[in-house]
Amino acid sequence: MTILKTFAFCICFFSGFVAFSHPQDELVILEIEHGQLDFPDQKIKAEYDAALKRQRMRQLAAMPSQERFWLFLNAGIKHIIPKGLDHILFVLGLFFSSLVLRSLLWQVTAFTLAHTFTLALAALGIITAPGAIIEPLIALSIVWVAVENCVFKETNKWRPFIVFGFGLLHGLGFAAVLSAFGLPENNLVASLLAFNIGVELGQLIVLFTTAALLWLIRKKSWYRQWVQIPASLLIAMVGIFWFIERVVS
Amino acid sequence: MKKLLFFTGIVLLSACQTQTDQTETQVASDNPFYQEWDTPFGIPPFHQIKNEHYMPAFEKGMKENLAEIDAIVNNSEAPTFANTIEELERTGKLLTKVQDVFYNLTGSNTNPKLQELQRDLSPLISAHYDKITLNKGLFNRVETLWQARETLELSNEQRKLLDDTRKAFVRSGALLNEEQKAQITAINSQISELTTAFGQNLLAETNGFELVLDKSDLDGLSDGIIAAAAETAAEKLAEAETDEDKAKYKDKYVFTPHRSSMYPFLTESNRRDLREQLYTAYIQRGDNDNETDNKEVAAKIAKLRAERAQLMGYETHAHFVLEERMLKTPEEVYDLLMQLWRPALERAKTEVADMQAVVDAEGKDFKIAGWDWWQYSEKVRKAKYDIDEAALKPYLSLDNVLNGVFETTNKLWGLTYTELFDINVYHPDARVWEVKDKDGSHLGIFIGDYFTRSNKRGGAWMSSFKGQSNLDGKERPVIVNVCNFPAPVGDDPALLSFGNVVTLFHEFGHAMHGILTNVTYNSMSGTSGPTDFTEFPAQILEHWASEPEILKSFATHYQTGEVMPDELIAKLLKASKFNQGFANTEYLAASLLDMDWHTIKGDEDLKNTNAFEKASLSKIGLIDEIAPRYRTGYFAHIFSGGYYAAGYYSYVHSAVLDSDGFEAFKETGNVFDPELAAKLRTHVYEKGSTEEAMELYKQFRGRAPKIDALLKVRGLDGSTD
Repeated sequence: MTILKTFAFCICFFSGFVAFSHPQDELVILEIEHGQLDFPDQKIKAEYDAALKRQRMRQLAAMPSQERFWLFLNAGIKHIIPKGLDHILFVLGLFFSSLVLRSLLWQVTAFTLAHTFTLALAALGIITAPGAIIEPLIALSIVWVAVENCVFKETNKWRPFIVFGFGLLHGLGFAAVLSAFGLPENNLVASLLAFNIGVELGQLIVLFTTAALLWLIRKKSWYRQWVQIPASLLIAMVGIFWFIERVVS
Repeated sequence: MKKLLFFTGIVLLSACQTQTDQTETQVASDNPFYQEWDTPFGIPPFHQIKNEHYMPAFEKGMKENLAEIDAIVNNSEAPTFANTIEELERTGKLLTKVQDVFYNLTGSNTNPKLQELQRDLSPLISAHYDKITLNKGLFNRVETLWQARETLELSNEQRKLLDDTRKAFVRSGALLNEEQKAQITAINSQISELTTAFGQNLLAETNGFELVLDKSDLDGLSDGIIAAAAETAAEKLAEAETDEDKAKYKDKYVFTPHRSSMYPFLTESNRRDLREQLYTAYIQRGDNDNETDNKEVAAKIAKLRAERAQLMGYETHAHFVLEERMLKTPEEVYDLLMQLWRPALERAKTEVADMQAVVDAEGKDFKIAGWDWWQYSEKVRKAKYDIDEAALKPYLSLDNVLNGVFETTNKLWGLTYTELFDINVYHPDARVWEVKDKDGSHLGIFIGDYFTRSNKRGGAWMSSFKGQSNLDGKERPVIVNVCNFPAPVGDDPALLSFGNVVTLFHEFGHAMHGILTNVTYNSMSGTSGPTDFTEFPAQILEHWASEPEILKSFATHYQTGEVMPDELIAKLLKASKFNQGFANTEYLAASLLDMDWHTIKGDEDLKNTNAFEKASLSKIGLIDEIAPRYRTGYFAHIFSGGYYAAGYYSYVHSAVLDSDGFEAFKETGNVFDPELAAKLRTHVYEKGSTEEAMELYKQFRGRAPKIDALLKVRGLDGSTD
């Protein structure tokens, strides 16, 4: 009943050894003693994002390990499809380099080894790299492989090594995403592994889908002129656009 | 995830939301306040509640509430406890529902739109409650019942509810004749205008002073403080309109008499002249003989309150107020305050001597003054009690401390806690636990919202989103603790200071009061007791945080797992007695000033407020080095609202209870003594206000409270450290 509950809720402000209050009065007092609240939008948003991450970390830490494994696996896949358009383009860049299965396999293996390596190092906090440098470089790596596809008909010997170097960069990019997502401390290695497996699965899905689509025309004489080169050019253009965009921002 | 994003949207974009007629009708049909909440444990569906839902729900809630009251009044049957008092308990459901959510969020997760609503609602809500308390028909029914109280065969709880309800009416003037009532109404409206004016004046006075400094004036200040002052200057520069103002703030540093700005400055600045300026500006607020002077306003308020009390048949306003408290008369309050005053003042004098010794040792030639206190007490603290906060914090991660408080209540009452990860409340930092009793039955929901953020009010408090009642089936509560602990940096865990730990236990004590409560009628549940009692359940829990045995059980290093070393614990506990002379003296001086203002008879000549204040303070022998925590001109607790009038003493009264109460546990030699813990639960935490607070205390303690334990805790018992 409202008469007895004139003080509808009990707020107990704590200052030094004293504590107590009544809402309306306290609001006045607080405004006077501490100044009015203002609402810096960006700060509130940053605080909210940090809180969201803390919440997710708590949820992750409390999850059964199997559930957590699937969650990270899923996150890894999602980071390629659909969120990782730049990584998709890079992998497509590799695809359009060669129709020789062995060459393609070498490149993909080099890429995977490299990004697994840096992703692990960054996730474990051993290395850090600023996104402002990594992200534009990732864009450039896309341009590089695409342009190379147009210049050379067959991949050259050192291509897997270049791809390995780019893979190191992409691994740092994955690490940034993973760090925003949050890794549970009590389950670091397993979660990292799950995320990485997810990334590989995403990558393989992209490769197999593209291969399936282009299977029938891959041997055509016009394949290089009308598919391989235009597709690579398109990829390179998008890469250039991203590079500019990322440098400017 | 979608829900979370949606919720972020509410928080961030609320300011930009515009309301059209179309959305308004749409909103009315799906206003979550109008629906039964099928949420787990009745936790409000925060993600569905939008800013524009509040006002219509408030309006509808008030309308429904009045209709329900009318139905009770117009009931053709003769008044019975069931059809009047119990029915009253059932009224205002919608209003309570929206109020609970609204007033919680305006404190803990507000936005400009909510703030605006809050200002608009304030007069509407108070007018609404006036309509109920002044409802003559309603009072007549209550009075009829009360007259027949002995024949109604009521339970003790029902009888107390009837008494309290009737008293609430009587205390707002229901028994007076029409002429007297008109007088009261006139006085009330004058008081209301004056208290509003007091608050506005004070705000203007506080915002009106600023210390604008050059780089060369910053001697002694640490980087964080300088950065904050530069930011304040930058804000002022951004607001400045004239070139003159712009020049004034450009590349400057601004300090203000807000405590968050002033205390660091007084502690760190080596410029004694500037400390004096800022300190003087602070204590002169409302006493500058300008148009925002509060001296006359305060005197008028005190005088009108005295007149009103006399109209109601009380000797003074303090008599009127104290009738409802644990301490029943001004004499009892003065007696308590003076018992503490003398040892506190003695202690303060030795603190002055300690500080003077530091001044002399520095080879400086001045006598300690009020504006030196913060700086020199800090120097004494460093020399005498130095504990390195940075070394302490790694032992006090939030999760460890929470485990500590959970474990404490588990050992006391067998409570268990399960964190619910799938329930999202109003902010991702607000965590949710289900609290279960010893036998596994559900007791309530506890929400802990611990980190500071830009849209949260300062301070720490407990509140509820849903109350407890056994009237129509078992309703269990949803309780929240809101604090302002620093948020963790990056992925590290949140680390607390020991002060934060005590705050956490304190607020958790309030939460226990709200969660363990087990009464029939919601209006008597939880923390509904008198002001000088409700801090007791909170403050007593603080004592467990400082017990070495318990501290060691939860204070483990977050990286190494090492338990806090004994030496560190000993230092920590010793430091709690630091500066107690000052803290108690400034507080007691303000409490006594409050009592003096509210024991006037109303016929005094109060033209000279300063003379009144001076007489009040010199009577008790307050030393020049200390000002009362609040002087008359800025004593907002008692003059800008009425709640603390003749009530500022409450803090220390609760402290008497908690020290004395915890002493009972120590006497048994077991701070978890099961028998005593059970008594504390059944007679204090469960009972709400269903019995007189003093009776509840005696049932728990076996006797009336004594002051001795408090003197010891605060280091005022003459023992040396």
